[in-house]
Amino acid sequence: MPLIEIISLNKIYDKTKVPVHALKDINLTIEKGEFVAIVGPSGSGKTTLLNMIGGLDSPTNGKVLINGINISKIKSDELIDFRLKNIGFVFQSFNLIPVLTAKENVEFIMLLQGVTKSEREKRTIELLNAVGLGDKIDSRPYELSGGQQQRVAVARAIASHPSFVLADEPTANLDSTSAEGLLDIMKELNQKLGMTFIFATHDNKVIRRVRRVITLEDGKIKSDVFQN
Amino acid sequence: MLIKLAWKNIWRNKKRSIIIILAAFFGIWGGVLTNGIFVGMWETTIEAAISRELSHIQIHHVKFRDERLITQFISEINTIEKILQSNPYIQNYSVRSILEGIALSPSSVNGVKIFAIDPNKEKLITSIHQKVIEGVYFSNKGYEILIGQKLAQKLKLKLNSKVVLSFQGMDNNLISTAFRVIGIFKTESKIFDETNVFIKHNDLQSILGTNIPIHEIAIRVSSTDLIDTTTKILKSELNNLSVQSWKELAPELSLTSGFLYLELNIFMGIILFALLFGISNTMMMSVFERIREFGVLIAIGMKKIKLFLLIIIESLILLFSGGLTGTLSGFLTIELLSRKGIDLSIFEEGMAAYGMSAILYPTLPFNMYISLFIMMLVTSIIASISPAIKAIRLKPAEAIRTYL
Ligand SMILES: Nc1ncnc2c1ncn2[C@@H]1O[C@H](COP(=O)(O)OP(=O)(O)OP(=O)(O)O)[C@@H](O)[C@H]1O
Ligand SMILES: [Mg+2]
Repeated sequence: MPLIEIISLNKIYDKTKVPVHALKDINLTIEKGEFVAIVGPSGSGKTTLLNMIGGLDSPTNGKVLINGINISKIKSDELIDFRLKNIGFVFQSFNLIPVLTAKENVEFIMLLQGVTKSEREKRTIELLNAVGLGDKIDSRPYELSGGQQQRVAVARAIASHPSFVLADEPTANLDSTSAEGLLDIMKELNQKLGMTFIFATHDNKVIRRVRRVITLEDGKIKSDVFQN
Repeated sequence: MLIKLAWKNIWRNKKRSIIIILAAFFGIWGGVLTNGIFVGMWETTIEAAISRELSHIQIHHVKFRDERLITQFISEINTIEKILQSNPYIQNYSVRSILEGIALSPSSVNGVKIFAIDPNKEKLITSIHQKVIEGVYFSNKGYEILIGQKLAQKLKLKLNSKVVLSFQGMDNNLISTAFRVIGIFKTESKIFDETNVFIKHNDLQSILGTNIPIHEIAIRVSSTDLIDTTTKILKSELNNLSVQSWKELAPELSLTSGFLYLELNIFMGIILFALLFGISNTMMMSVFERIREFGVLIAIGMKKIKLFLLIIIESLILLFSGGLTGTLSGFLTIELLSRKGIDLSIFEEGMAAYGMSAILYPTLPFNMYISLFIMMLVTSIIASISPAIKAIRLKPAEAIRTYL
C-alpha cells in the first residue's frame, strides 16, 4: 500500500465571484521514504494540493488516501487528531508560537499527543541538537534568525513521529546559506530515519536536492520526474 | 499546559492587558469597599436598633402590640421565666412593664412610653446604660427616672429636675407621680430619645401597690445565628403568647436588608458589566491578531476544544488577576477600617435622624464574596465566548494564508 494515493482529485474554489478550478484530475502516488517537490508557477495549485494531502481543506471530488484511509471521509474533529498523529507541517514562516521557547515549541506538539515528560524531554533535546540548535533551546522565536526558526519548525514537525512531513515553501524567506542548511537537515532526516518529505516550492535549491519533481501547471500535473 | 500558554499570551500585549487588569483591580476594589461600607452602615443601624430597643426576641400578650393596655400583661410570669431559664440558647432576658403616658414639666408636656425595668437585668439586654451622657444609670434611691436628651431639651429638664409621669392604672384611674431625673441618655435615634423613659420596677410596684404587670420580655440569645431557631422553639412552647424575633418586630429593617444585598449585587454587576466590554474587546482583538497562529495550531493538531479553553482561560486570567487582587485589597481595606471604625461624627446630626450610629464599621458577609466570585466567573466566560467561537471556526487552510 502506498503512503499517499491521490485519485482523480479536483478542487474548485467556488466561494469567490468567479469559481477557480485550482486542481484538475490529479492522480498521484507517493511512497514511504520519498523526498519530493511539487513545483510550478505561482497560482498553479501547489499549496492547494498540499492542503488536500494534509487534510487542511477538503476536495471538491476525488480521493486522498493516506495509508489506505480516505481522509475526506474523516470527521472534522477526528481529522485534527489524524493530522496530529500522522502529519508533520512546516509552513513558509511564522510557524512557531511566539511566546514559547524553541524547546517548548517542539514539546508542545508532544504535549498535544500526550507523550510522557521524560520522553518529551529526550526527543526535544535530540531533535534540537539534530537541527543544530542545541545551544538555542531556551530562545524565543524572535531571538532566532529566520533559518533557525524554520529548523525549530522542522524539529517540531518530526517530533510527533508523523508518517510524512508537508513543507510549503519552507525556504522562501531564507537566505541561501540558511536554506541550504535547512535542506541538509531535512535530507539527513530523510536518509537516516527514512522520513518522507513533500515540498511545495519554486526554490531551485530545493528542486536540486529532491529525488522527484512533480510539476503543476494550471492545476494539472505537467510532469513527474525522478532524478538521481 | 493551556494555563501556562494562556498566561504567556496575556503578556504579549502588555499595555493592553495591564489596562484591563488595572481596571478590574480598581473596579472590584472600589466595589467591594463601597459594598462593605453600605453593609457596615446597615449592620450598625440594625445592631443599634437591637441593642437600643429591639433585643433579639420579644414576648408579649397577644393583644399588647396593638392595643398597649396596662391590663394586657403576661400572666404566669414565673412559669415562663422557668421555660426561658431552661433554654440553652437564651443568654439573658429582661422583663419590662410598659406604660403609655405623658411626661410633664413646668414648661411643657410630651407623650412617652414608660419602661419599668430591673436596671441590672436590663443592662444585659440593651445598651441604654452605655448611652447615659449626663448623670448616672440609676442609683439606689427611690423614684428616679432616666430620660433622653431630646426629651430633656423639649421639657427643659436638667439633672435632678422633677418630672411628673401620668398614666392609667390597672383599674383605669389616672396615676401621677413625680420622678427625679437621675440620668440623661442619648442614643443614635432622636425619636427614641424623645419618646422613651426608664424607671425602676420597685418604684412602679410601690405606685401600683400590687405585683407589677409584665408586658414585655426582651431576650438575647448567645449568637445571632440562633435567633430564628430559638424564636421557633419559644413559639411552640408559649403558644398563647406572641413571640417575635427582631425581624418580625421591625419588618422594615429586615426587609430592607434583603433589598440591600440585592442592590449591592446589582452594583457589582454594573461594574463587571463595564469590565465585560473591555475584556471582550481585548479578547476579540487578540484573537484577530492570532488568526494565522491559530490556523497553524489547528493544522498541527490542536483540538478545537483546547483552543476554545485556551481563550476562555486567557479571559479568566485577565479578569481574575485584577479581580482577585482587587477583592483581596477590598477585603483588607474593610478589615483595616473595621478595626477602628470610620468616625462619621461630623455628620452625626444628619445620621441620628435615621437612627444611624456615628461610628461605622465596614463589613461584608462571606456570601457576598462568593456571589462576586461567581459573577466574575460568568463575566469572563461571557466576554470570551464569542472570540473563542470565532477562533474555533477558523479554517486552517484559510487562516494560514492570513498574514498580518
Ligand atoms: N481560499 C481560496 N479561495 C479562492 N481561490 C483560492 C483560494 N486559495 C487558492 N485559490 C486560488 O487557487 C489557485 C491555486 O492557488 P495556490 O495557492 O494553490 O497556488 P500556489 O501554486 O501555491 O501559488 P504560490 O506559488 O503563489 O504559493 C490560485 O488561482 C488561487 O488564487
Ligand atoms: Mg502556495
